[in-house]
Amino acid sequence: MVDFSSILALLVEGVLLAALGVLTGILFMGIARKVVARVHNRVGPPVYQSYIDIIKLLTKKTNISHGWIFDLALLFSISGILLTLLFLPIGGIKLLSIHGDLFLVLYLLAIPALGFALGAGASGNPNAGIGVMRALVMMFSYELPFIIAVLAVMIYYDTTSIATIVASQSHMRWAILVPPLLIGALVADMALQGMLMEKPFDIPIAPHEIASGPMVEFGGKYLGTLMLYKATSIVVETTLFVDLFLGGAVVLDPATYGAVAYAVNLVVWFLLILAVFIISVLINTVFPRFRIEQALKFYWSYDTALAILALMWIYFLYI
Amino acid sequence: MIWEAISLMVLLALLAYATGRLSRYSGIFAVLAGFVPLAMLFDWAPTAGLKHLISLGFEKSTAVNIKIATLHFSITPLSWLFLTMVGGIFPFIALYAISYFKKAPGGFFGSMTLALVGATGVVLASDLLTFFIFWEVMSWSAFLLVVRGRDRSAITSYFSFSALSAYLILFGIMVLRSEAETLSFSSLSSSITSSRLTLLAFISMAAGFGVKGALMPLHIWAPRAYSRSEEPFVAYLAGGLSKLGYYGIFLLFYSFVGVSVITRFGTFRGVPYLGYSLAIFGALSAFIGTVLAFMEDDLRKLLAYSSIGQLGYIAIGIGIGTPLALSGALFQAVNHTFFKAVLFLAAGSVYYRTGRWKISELGGVAYRMPFTFLAALFSIFALAAIPITSGFAAKWLLYVSTVDKRFVFLTPIMLIAGVGAFLYSFRILYGVFLGEPRYPDIKEAPALQLIPMWILVMPLVIFLIFPGKLMDVFGEIFAYYGLEGVSHTDFAITTSLSSYNTLAVIFALMGGLMVAFIIYVSRPHRVVSHYDNYLSGEIPEVHEGLSLHAATRYYKPVEDLFQPYFAHGAERFYHHIEVGLEGVGDGLRRLFKTTVSNMIYLVLAGLLLIGWWLTW
Amino acid sequence: MVVHPTLLIVLPLVGAFSVSLIRRYGGGAIKLYGSAYLFLNLIISAVLFMEVRSGGEVTERIAGYSPPVGIFLAVGAVNAVLVLLINLFAAFNYLTFNPKDKEPFHRFTVLYLLGVASSSGIVLTGDLFNMFVFFEIAAVSSYALVASSKDERSVGSAIKYMILGSVGSTFMLISIALIYSELRTLNLYDIAHRIGEMGGAVRTAAFTFLIVGIGVEAEIFPFNGWVPGVYGRSDGNISSFLVLGPSKAAIYAILRVLITLFYGSSSRAVMMDIAMVLGLITLVVGEVAALSEKDPKRMLAFSSIGQMGLILIAISLGSAAGIVAAVFLMVSHASVKSALFLSSDVYRQGGMRYTLTGALSVGAVLGLVGMPPFAGFWGKWYLLSGAADEGLWIVIAAVIFTTAVEAYYLARFLSRGLSMKKRGGVKPTRVITMTVMVGVSLLVGLFASVIYEMVSAGVTTLLSGGI
Repeated sequence: MVDFSSILALLVEGVLLAALGVLTGILFMGIARKVVARVHNRVGPPVYQSYIDIIKLLTKKTNISHGWIFDLALLFSISGILLTLLFLPIGGIKLLSIHGDLFLVLYLLAIPALGFALGAGASGNPNAGIGVMRALVMMFSYELPFIIAVLAVMIYYDTTSIATIVASQSHMRWAILVPPLLIGALVADMALQGMLMEKPFDIPIAPHEIASGPMVEFGGKYLGTLMLYKATSIVVETTLFVDLFLGGAVVLDPATYGAVAYAVNLVVWFLLILAVFIISVLINTVFPRFRIEQALKFYWSYDTALAILALMWIYFLYI
Repeated sequence: MIWEAISLMVLLALLAYATGRLSRYSGIFAVLAGFVPLAMLFDWAPTAGLKHLISLGFEKSTAVNIKIATLHFSITPLSWLFLTMVGGIFPFIALYAISYFKKAPGGFFGSMTLALVGATGVVLASDLLTFFIFWEVMSWSAFLLVVRGRDRSAITSYFSFSALSAYLILFGIMVLRSEAETLSFSSLSSSITSSRLTLLAFISMAAGFGVKGALMPLHIWAPRAYSRSEEPFVAYLAGGLSKLGYYGIFLLFYSFVGVSVITRFGTFRGVPYLGYSLAIFGALSAFIGTVLAFMEDDLRKLLAYSSIGQLGYIAIGIGIGTPLALSGALFQAVNHTFFKAVLFLAAGSVYYRTGRWKISELGGVAYRMPFTFLAALFSIFALAAIPITSGFAAKWLLYVSTVDKRFVFLTPIMLIAGVGAFLYSFRILYGVFLGEPRYPDIKEAPALQLIPMWILVMPLVIFLIFPGKLMDVFGEIFAYYGLEGVSHTDFAITTSLSSYNTLAVIFALMGGLMVAFIIYVSRPHRVVSHYDNYLSGEIPEVHEGLSLHAATRYYKPVEDLFQPYFAHGAERFYHHIEVGLEGVGDGLRRLFKTTVSNMIYLVLAGLLLIGWWLTW
Repeated sequence: MVVHPTLLIVLPLVGAFSVSLIRRYGGGAIKLYGSAYLFLNLIISAVLFMEVRSGGEVTERIAGYSPPVGIFLAVGAVNAVLVLLINLFAAFNYLTFNPKDKEPFHRFTVLYLLGVASSSGIVLTGDLFNMFVFFEIAAVSSYALVASSKDERSVGSAIKYMILGSVGSTFMLISIALIYSELRTLNLYDIAHRIGEMGGAVRTAAFTFLIVGIGVEAEIFPFNGWVPGVYGRSDGNISSFLVLGPSKAAIYAILRVLITLFYGSSSRAVMMDIAMVLGLITLVVGEVAALSEKDPKRMLAFSSIGQMGLILIAISLGSAAGIVAAVFLMVSHASVKSALFLSSDVYRQGGMRYTLTGALSVGAVLGLVGMPPFAGFWGKWYLLSGAADEGLWIVIAAVIFTTAVEAYYLARFLSRGLSMKKRGGVKPTRVITMTVMVGVSLLVGLFASVIYEMVSAGVTTLLSGGI
């Protein structure tokens, strides 16, 4: 009954893809620093700088902890984000995504965030508390338009499973080509800006106001893990966007092209999430920071209105 | 046997009353009484698809003739499930209460036991009269416990709302009785017609049950009663008794009136309008309750509003009424029973050690009370539907069921309420348990408080791993009411839209934790004091105005935005009703304050009117 | 027949006239003497109750003249319950009076015993004129009892009561005169079967005057202007006596008039309708007025009015369920409302926090709102099911609305009393009496079958113009 070879294959696949995700994420962090530097007319650090930073942090000899709840941040943030990564189809590779759906991913995303927040809270630093508050309010803000936009996708494809949504968009019938879902994609992209905590929505970390907020007391292996978490979450969030609106980066059908298709799809996946990320970084470079209530107002008014428009359009004209 | 068991519980209640002033250990009678429903549960387990454990010989249905009426009891899969909720948590809460009270608590345990008697009777009743009698016993024994809080607004609002609820239900009972000419559950729905009177009865009964289920806008008693009564009772009220409202609503749909009659009042995509409107009220409860919860500084009020929000999900599920939605509602009911009980008990333990209720005055409790914190943390995970507890399965079923029916209003409202739950969850976690270590000298809660809490946490773990076991019970319920089941295995639930496999989540999480653990142990770390931070060891004299705990008005930016829209909406509504009625009353009272001659004129006027009517 | 119902009237009268003989032995002795009569009465009424329960109705001719010429006493199921109730509570209520407060106590005892005797008389008699006489005695003793209260303004209220009461008595007398002039008989059952012989206009007038006349005593709106003043200014234990004695007797008299006296009348359906409308108005007016009343005693008075309206509605259903409901409601009202009046003095002195009085008041409030297993529950259950059987949904709606209102103001009353910091001094006699009252309400509710079986057995004869 239990098919060990398939479980083993899944295991290997999972480990490889998780590693790929993490490494890609760290690379993206480097790219972001380079892009920002270039926009600012600076030279900037090399793109591999983030690898060096993380290795340095993870191998530091002095690590300061504030007790076992503080340690939960390390444990939960990295394990939670890897868990989420495994439930997303990446370049058409389904992994565990058939065992869960969009709602599960949305809630799995909360595990690392909550773990991180617990650690931040346990540091006893008031800036951390304020930072987490801002992060949660941000989440409360961008989730409303994001959910409505995603709901439009879900009822358009009549499924809640990401794997099925990706499958329905095969042969380049991307969701973004459906006019109302284009609006949905726009909404989701704005929400993504908040998810990635890029300006104008970098309110939770706001280095100049609350000393990097939740991260204020983290150092050494703790900060290293958090950087890993941050890097992976970039990949997770952009991949989610690509899966929902850009056909999951599936350009060749593995059934006909075999292993080549996987390789090509993975390359396309890399390019697409890079594109999505670069857009976000570019917006980041030119905007100042919102206050938290401005972010809430923005998301709950303009963005939500657009999202409702998309949803109503789908609801009344497409199904 | 059932009647004897109930009599035994009443006897134990009387014993608890009699010994209540002697010692807090009189609670042992309440604990004993709590084991009676537990025994019934084990005995009836085969009915609900569980293994046959012991046999005590409880009959499946019985009739007791009390001469003025005959009381009927019977056990159905649904009542078995709800008996686990109202009866299963009771002995542990009673055990907790023994340790919670520092002095002999007088009538506390007696009234608690009576509330249990009422609740047990309600779920076992199989005719409307029995149902109503026990409903009222449950209602007023809870009132006796609210009275112990000595808070005026709590007493007034609880009592008037529960009387209103009782008589709304009684109205419905009267209509059904006159239409069906029977009081028995099994034969009611076959003879009900879809008249306008039935509609009225349905609405009034739903409102009556909604009061007990703290459905908006009938909820205003809940925050008051929850925040001014003793914690073990509140844990039982929120965890156990509030479910009875939804038990009633479920019966209303499937047993009292019957789906076939309800559908005749019109449907919307296969869902009756009546059900859909219930779902709308549930969604409003879920959203508004959540928002009010994260804007609240009083820990008990926060938990009360959170209860209102979480109970709203049950209303949504029952309202939509597809097997998927019903499974979600029942799953949520089971989860809520345990996590809300644990949360109130944990809050009670924090109060027991610190003497504070305000979140802004607490902080850093977790460092001294780690086991209490862990129990609370786990329940909060369940409440926020984090997929490492059973809480997620319930929400997931509900979300999928709304998408399935394409209810584009309900889904976003529920999801955003779900996000809001993170907000108030973290307000509790940070404000009470984490942050600045303000209580360095307190001790961990007593073992007698920790053990019940941890026992109550267990189901949340068990049903995380085996959601299918619970779904089996729901399957029996659906079969009993002639509904289809939801396809599932022990670990996975499959719907037409997607599937959810808990094993995948658990193993993937294990893998992730392994990676994290390797990083964690790869380098040593040193634990330092909380004050050894960016302050560089220089602890400021914090107590005059400066605080290192950022928990006062935690969500101020959101509060400032939302406050104008949420300021006492329902309360103002009821206040207007009260003022209006008092105005009428003042006018009427003037008739009794006039001179004698005016009174005689009144008498004569009455005389003439009566005479005129008789001759006319 | 083991006991003579006459004893219930004669014994207190003997007590009342002989009490001044022992006045020089002081208040304590007088109280003992009075209580002896009252508790003897209680025993007799209990025996009578048992007798009716086992053997149906009991009748007794006075002075050997047989009806319809002579006066006779007729004890059926309903009035057996009621007479036991009145005597039980009256006896315990008497214990709460402090002889020092009611100087001279022998006169007070005379009034009290007269009140008890006449209330029993109204309930027991089978003769219309006799009923009127007892009404007069009850009214006069009530006026005087009210005036004996501590609050000096009670005298003014008593005078108001007296004036309205006299108007009522006059109307009653007019009605009796009209009936006698037409039918030449005063026997209730005789009239009941011959009422059809009366001329329509005379019958209308007789009914109108009678219902208004009794209505004044039975607190029916709009004839009840005296109620808030009297209850609001009397001592709590005097108010409780008025609630459990004369007012119960008066509402029973209305039952007699509606169910028995006009049994054979062709316009009886309209009369029932009128009674129901009166009941509805009384119910709503009483409860809504109570909601806005802040003074606890006056609030209880308005609440009393509402309850009387409820009983009147039950009676005017005219069905078996209605009569059963009326009996349970009377039991409930007489017990728990009296208990609440007893607690109202303590309440005024400063709260019931952590006292037995407080606990008993909570019980009384539960009973009054009609929570099972109190007697009031069965009252409301049978009232509502009786109304539902006849499709009177407006009545049900009114009952539900007023119950919610009632619950609100009673809870406000309770919460204010229970949250006060001061503890009021409670006399043990009051606590005992309240315990008896609340206990009776609870026991009657728990063992409702005792009264239910008895009343439903007797109700057929009652509804066919019998006892």
